[in-house]
Amino acid sequence: MATPERVVIAAAGVVTPIGQDLEAFWSSLVTGASGISQIERVPVADLRVQRGGEVKKLGRIKDWRGVPDCRASRLLIAAADDLCAQAAFRPLPLDPARVGVVVGTALGGVEEGEKALAGDRGGRRLSQALYDGPGWALARWLGARGPVITVSTACASGATAMAVGADLLRSGEADAVVAGGYDALCRFVLRGFDALRSLTRDEVRPFDRRRSGLLLGEAGALALLLRERDARGPRLGTLLGYGSASDGFHIAAPEPEGRGLERAIRAAMADARVSAADIDLVSAHGTATPLNDRIETAALKRALGSRAHEIPVNSIKGSLGHTMGAAAALEAFMCLLSAQRGLIPPTLHLEEPDPECDLDYVPGQARPARPRVMLSTSMGFGGCNGALILEAS
Amino acid sequence: MPAPAIRALGILSGQQASPALQILTLPRPDRPGDRFRRATRECLLALAAVDAMLEDGKASREAIAGERTALLYVTAAAYGASNRAFIERQGGVMHFAYTAPAVVPAEVAIEFGVAGPYGILIGGAPATLRAIEQAARLLEAGTCDRALVLAVEIFEECADLYAHHRRFYRWPLVETAACLWLERGAGAISFESARGGGREAGAAGSGERFAAGPLADLRDWRARGVAGPVELSGRWRGEQARLRWSPENSHARGSAA
Repeated sequence: MATPERVVIAAAGVVTPIGQDLEAFWSSLVTGASGISQIERVPVADLRVQRGGEVKKLGRIKDWRGVPDCRASRLLIAAADDLCAQAAFRPLPLDPARVGVVVGTALGGVEEGEKALAGDRGGRRLSQALYDGPGWALARWLGARGPVITVSTACASGATAMAVGADLLRSGEADAVVAGGYDALCRFVLRGFDALRSLTRDEVRPFDRRRSGLLLGEAGALALLLRERDARGPRLGTLLGYGSASDGFHIAAPEPEGRGLERAIRAAMADARVSAADIDLVSAHGTATPLNDRIETAALKRALGSRAHEIPVNSIKGSLGHTMGAAAALEAFMCLLSAQRGLIPPTLHLEEPDPECDLDYVPGQARPARPRVMLSTSMGFGGCNGALILEAS
Repeated sequence: MPAPAIRALGILSGQQASPALQILTLPRPDRPGDRFRRATRECLLALAAVDAMLEDGKASREAIAGERTALLYVTAAAYGASNRAFIERQGGVMHFAYTAPAVVPAEVAIEFGVAGPYGILIGGAPATLRAIEQAARLLEAGTCDRALVLAVEIFEECADLYAHHRRFYRWPLVETAACLWLERGAGAISFESARGGGREAGAAGSGERFAAGPLADLRDWRARGVAGPVELSGRWRGEQARLRWSPENSHARGSAA
């Protein structure tokens, strides 16, 4: 079979609770900063857990004229503003019809739906409430007139979006793709996870014996994807492969053995034409729920064999919370920055090892290392499992 | 790209409940078993569409089970009903899980044992045409042996919201659940999309089905029993997409439902 065309991640842009550009995000990760705080933008007094990774003030963009009054769209556009600053990408240096947009989200513009049902039905509220509304708002802001695609594989959405973006380049449908993920904290999702008792009142402690749940976060994370032959100038790395698999087990709970995640990892390695011996770093989904981290550890051990015990595995959700649709893209960028900067960010708040989670999770502080090939894993509601393989530049 | 062959197509299409109603609705299917107690209407319709597909293909459910079956789900708005129910505090704690678009293909995966690659695209008809193209690519790459393209759209629970924004949509809105079973074929397929252009001609009289529209058009093409290529097209948010498809070994017959 012919080798698929290589797709590079030329640049990335983010807005997160720990920094509103890629440099601030990276600095906070390696210094162990936390973006978790009391939620202020929406009422939470009736909720059991009132903290999360909230972006307090979207300071990047001063003039929001022409941008919908929609938090999700604005997170996405703030991330795009950072991307454009890093890649000198606005105005578009290409034919706009050849620039695609692929975004992943777990929630879309659902907060606009909340507003519409509360009686605020003005303008294009319903249009924004559909899950693909923010993706189209981003395309308008960028001036991109190529394909606009929204994927919603729950909390694996960011990984799926990057893979679909790479496919657009390989099929020749676009010459550049802005791809990634986003989600905003709103009443809808805070109330939902609160009701499911998935949220912790403690710190988010991935792989720690005392872990007791996740906290939600909000973010936007976007990459500029190009075919390798078209990429000139600096780049973050290469998207080598992607794999997905459904659990087919339960609506909300992961399959107890992590078989779906294992299949997704194996598919991603096959797509990337790498073996476990090639993997130097794993960015785990690592939500810090008792079930997720144990299942994920088991899946990694089966998929990577004895190599699993030799590879650093980290989770950045202790710093950010679970940013849902943005999580996989942020974790992919963390991998590539680790390779570029020679440091692996620590798994924040991991202090007491869990015998059932017995891999090297990079506790304490950032670790000097320069990984070359990296695996990023994602799991979501509905048994959505996704895995990305990335390569350093 | 090599075109996939159509193995089967199941489709459930809304009926007009009353002359005044501008939404053609599908009833909530009955499905025995405690597991479906909380399942939403869109989930149950997805399962019914797969049942109809299996009937059309005269196949058992085992034929689509396993890791070699890919599942691609497309919808523009089916999650609206469950999102609204949660916002308006209908249903219990577990209802939140059902607000995610991902639960519709998840129910199908659970019920029929589908465990292969998956994708979920949000959007109208162009997203469905793109999903068929993605399925063709997965089949060509050998990533799967069969691919299911599932589309579900329901409108009734959010009728007032659509009515408020009625100028954006073509009426009536037709609730539809459809599932297309594709396998490797020998024809050719090409996909293209562009922005701009006027409202799609030809389908104006048949109502709006959002993502399910192309599968309804495919059913009509099969029902006509015409050999040769089919062109499916659709429009959403200003994107016009077109799929030219010569599924040489397709079954040219009407769907079962």
